[in-house]
Amino acid sequence: MAEAVVLHPSLRLVGRPLPRHDARDKVAAATAYAADWGMPGMLQATVLRSPYASARIVKLDTGRAAAMPGVAAVLTAKDVPRNTLATDVPGQTTAVGPLRATLHVLATERVRHQGEPVALVAAETLEQARAAAEAIEVQYEPLPGVFDPEAALAPGAPRVHEAGNLLAHWRIARGDSAAAFARAAVIVEGEYTTQFVDAAYLEPESGVAWIDSDGVITIRVSTQVIEHFRDVAEVLQIPQNRVRVIGPYLGGGFGGKEDVTVEVYLGLLALRTGRPVKMVWTRQESLLARAKRHPYRMRYRTGASASGEIVAEQIDLLADAGAYAYLSALVLLYSTVTAAGPYRVPAVEVEARCAYTNNPPTSAMRGFGAMQTVFAYESQMDRIGRALGLDPVEIRRMNALRRGDSLPVGQVLETHVAMPELAERVWAALGPVRPARAAHVKVGRGLACNLQPYGRIVWLHDWSSAWVGFEMDGSLVVRCGVPDVGGGQASSLCQIAAEVLGVGLEQVSVHIGDSALTPLAGTTTASRQLYMSGNAVLKAARELRAQLLAVAAPMLGVKDSALDLLEGAVVADGGRSLPVPDVLRRCAREGVPRSHLAVYHAPAGEPVDLATGSGKVFPDYTFGAHAAEVEIDMETGAVRLVKYVAAHDVGRAINPQSVEGQIQGGAVQGLGGGLLEEVILEEGINLTTSFASYLIPTAADVPDVEALVVESGEGLGPFNARGIGEPPIGPPAAAVANAIADATGVRLTRLPLTPERLARALGLLGKAG
Amino acid sequence: MIRRLVVNGRARELDVLPHQTLLEVLRDTLGIFEVKEGCGEGVCGACTVLLEGRPVSSCLVLALAVRGRAILTVRGLEGEGGLHPLQEAFVKSGAVQCGFCTPGMLLTALAFLEHHPRPTREAIRAALEGNLCRCTGYTKIVDAVLAYARGDEGHG
Amino acid sequence: MSAHPLEYAAPETLEDALALLATHGPEAKVLAGGQSLVPLLNYRLARPRLIVDINGLPLASVHADDGRLRLGALTRHHELEESPEITRRCPLLGEAARLVGNVRVRSLGTLGGSLAHADPAAELPMAMVALDAHLTLASSSGHRTVPAREFFRGYLTTALAPDELLTEIAVPVVPGAGWAIEEFSRRPGDFAIVGVAALVSLDRHGHVEDARLAFAGVGDRPVRVPAAEDALRGGEPADARLARAAEIARDALEPASDAFVSGAYRRLLAGVLCRRALGRAVARALGVP
Repeated sequence: MAEAVVLHPSLRLVGRPLPRHDARDKVAAATAYAADWGMPGMLQATVLRSPYASARIVKLDTGRAAAMPGVAAVLTAKDVPRNTLATDVPGQTTAVGPLRATLHVLATERVRHQGEPVALVAAETLEQARAAAEAIEVQYEPLPGVFDPEAALAPGAPRVHEAGNLLAHWRIARGDSAAAFARAAVIVEGEYTTQFVDAAYLEPESGVAWIDSDGVITIRVSTQVIEHFRDVAEVLQIPQNRVRVIGPYLGGGFGGKEDVTVEVYLGLLALRTGRPVKMVWTRQESLLARAKRHPYRMRYRTGASASGEIVAEQIDLLADAGAYAYLSALVLLYSTVTAAGPYRVPAVEVEARCAYTNNPPTSAMRGFGAMQTVFAYESQMDRIGRALGLDPVEIRRMNALRRGDSLPVGQVLETHVAMPELAERVWAALGPVRPARAAHVKVGRGLACNLQPYGRIVWLHDWSSAWVGFEMDGSLVVRCGVPDVGGGQASSLCQIAAEVLGVGLEQVSVHIGDSALTPLAGTTTASRQLYMSGNAVLKAARELRAQLLAVAAPMLGVKDSALDLLEGAVVADGGRSLPVPDVLRRCAREGVPRSHLAVYHAPAGEPVDLATGSGKVFPDYTFGAHAAEVEIDMETGAVRLVKYVAAHDVGRAINPQSVEGQIQGGAVQGLGGGLLEEVILEEGINLTTSFASYLIPTAADVPDVEALVVESGEGLGPFNARGIGEPPIGPPAAAVANAIADATGVRLTRLPLTPERLARALGLLGKAG
Repeated sequence: MIRRLVVNGRARELDVLPHQTLLEVLRDTLGIFEVKEGCGEGVCGACTVLLEGRPVSSCLVLALAVRGRAILTVRGLEGEGGLHPLQEAFVKSGAVQCGFCTPGMLLTALAFLEHHPRPTREAIRAALEGNLCRCTGYTKIVDAVLAYARGDEGHG
Repeated sequence: MSAHPLEYAAPETLEDALALLATHGPEAKVLAGGQSLVPLLNYRLARPRLIVDINGLPLASVHADDGRLRLGALTRHHELEESPEITRRCPLLGEAARLVGNVRVRSLGTLGGSLAHADPAAELPMAMVALDAHLTLASSSGHRTVPAREFFRGYLTTALAPDELLTEIAVPVVPGAGWAIEEFSRRPGDFAIVGVAALVSLDRHGHVEDARLAFAGVGDRPVRVPAAEDALRGGEPADARLARAAEIARDALEPASDAFVSGAYRRLLAGVLCRRALGRAVARALGVP
């Protein structure tokens, strides 16, 4: 638990919906994203990728390409000093043993998925680089591939990797489920399928690298993880302190910029040519080559008592890990731990596997394995409720986890679990049921709840650091290595520092995302930045405050406990005050530091044996409930979203406007995955490599999302905040599927919930269909 | 070919190749980076500019084809007093997250409001359907456009 | 995104433009609104030697004469949406244009460009086939006029020869006709999975005098279904008759399946949308707003 922080009876800045500093820059279009950067003498670079999903490279000749006009470098695997990348755990931790997995920077003798990088080209112009890439002679010998995880695990399946196609396997067994099922009054079985989903941020992968005047390879790149400077150094085989990654404000990340994208290529080309190099992926390249969200096949068997209490659950999860491991094993771990949802289930068995295929790689995306399972467990919950005649809120209320309960993995929930009240609130917020507009339209409502971890797995010993300091004029500087993906990561830190140190937001300057110049803060992933870096800034600010007040106390002739910092002044009881700059000058004379560097360590733990279920896996969880009202066109299967409400207990909202924005944006991303989005593959070949075919929601596809920001006052973050980046993406697909079932009596179990699938389920395509 | 492009009221003579899109020329030749490239095929709206008042995808316009015609980018909105009121409304309403769609969104909204000064939320959504945003879920963008439209009424 | 090097010409007269096409033929591409061509250039799916920018030609005029609306090929989609002249004489065109792409496509995209591109899922080709429009194709050796139904020859394929330019579209105006377009797409602004344009005119007894149905997204070009039109003519436009005609249309269509949508689903949509379009068209013919 974070310490209870009560600096003022009423907070001045924390908890208020303050406009973000970066929003001003962004509306003025003053923000320089990665692709908006340039250097004198800069080369343009491109990647040559495999057109095959599974093939052997029998010939790779770059001679003609290298001789073409303007070409500065053509690199293949043999030019890469160390051609492997560890893909297991980005960030500060370097070893987790059994999860360690690697991939090639550039393909050697084999390609395992369409879009796998084969060669790099840098040239004076982009056209020259592209022309040279086309001129590289590659001969492929197509090999058999495997494109489905079930098939990949069958005997005799083509091997994607020599060691076999099973990449990871997690298991939980808690309680005597056989005996519990024998006692169940109702047993519901279902199989649920989710699809490949793309992060589809608006800003494609991009960056510029140069060798700085001190010889350090400097890479300014759109990334969620500036700590990849170490990966670049490993590949280049140079010391880690000779690579610097600068992370500018991102045009979206959503997990898709957690793994390395362009930075290693840029490092290689800058080192080889000695010149600045730029690489910007096209949208087509991004949709083709970036790791996707894992498709899952989830089999659930749930038993409940006659009164509706869940007594047992058997869960079998199988995920498509694509051609390379990336973060698949960890994603699967999240699924395993959250598979039973925010419910008390005394007897649970979970079998979770993921398998290599020749499909595109799969890795992190917002929700990180804890979101696919929501579709399954919330569909199951609805079906049990219907089987027993319990309404959606009642069945969830009966089974909701409470503080002190434990998850199937054995982790005891130590903070408030807002489960039943969130469900009640969103359900009530839908308001009175409206009649259908036409005879062929039916209206339905659905509810879905979820839990999502925030913060990294406890045995990764997560930490973040931040520096907070006053300038002599009383203005404040925050330095923190956080990448800002657009969620207001940096501005929340400003709000926290300004709160503690009694200055206005406009007096704070924040420097973020520079692996050489800002204290490392770890990844902007896992809903962890507000929690981790927020705590680091809070700690630094409080230390700095104490330093300052200790100097001010004798100046004002009072104890420092009687002092406050308000509006740029140290204020004593009774109204006497000193301008902060006066105190800072005294600090300077007395040699007292006017800044503080703090490191926040998350609660750590030892690895848990999942099978026996014995302890903490994640620091804590954020709970949520979403409710949807839909209209179904019973003649076409079209689903129109009419109303959408989403509630999450965020502990404390540092900036309620930003929190609402996370909830609304996450919900709409989840609705996209629920209704529209699907990477369509034929034998590993991607048919959806444009924004005209990969369909993300437009403004006209979704209704307003009513965000209910619930503050229990409990959470591990600063001022008792909880993480909110990922949680809202979990429930939407299930909420809509449940609403469709409510309207039509038909249950869809495959995502996305397309009109054609619904039409088929409604029998509209008949026998002829 | 030396051609004249008129961007935000300022004429510039520059060398344009036949295949170059307006987006390429704005970014790579003129250094006008407020115009973003999100998809290169006219779907996402990040590269929206106003061509004689109408929104166009600068990635789908050959630069030579718009020689001499008035092009407005988001930087052209700012008056002497600073941000345009719609920009202020975006800041205040929390309509900006990553900000990559924002310049195009602002220009599309302004072109729409020119002819529809008192829009409904539904009309705003329909008007913005060609500008993708992956962060906000659109609710606060609609809030911002509506707040601005109402504010204009108040001032008018 | 960069295409490969090419030449650019912006002729100021039709004669010059046609002379360029006569000289360069298949190696030239006509640039009108560019909304279909420039993506092809950007992705090198088209690699012409010469771009003939026709935007300087006097092909943007709108005239009405002899019961026809004569639209220059450079008429922009937004003009189809907004022009009072077009809306008054042929409101179906405005409804079709409103469904095209996004607002940016409609700013620049042209009627002639959309027809010449001939996407079988596009709204304007479907509308022209429903309207029995006539297209004027010019070349340096003369003019010819082609009915819309004969202009579309297959997927992205038309009757235009490499040296020809589509210059004008003449749309017969049917006073008092009811009209409607229904389309189904995954998102607004996307190409239709299926679209249907219906035109119904009633005689003074309230019977169907003429009916026309054209479909998009069900074949390699816009498709008329004469059997369904015949089933409507001469009878009262009762719901059952409309439904029957829609069934005939649906059963006559043989849409193919692709990776995104099955033929069976397109067919279902064709039937449902046809019935709805006919219902709306009849209501309009009867003067119901």
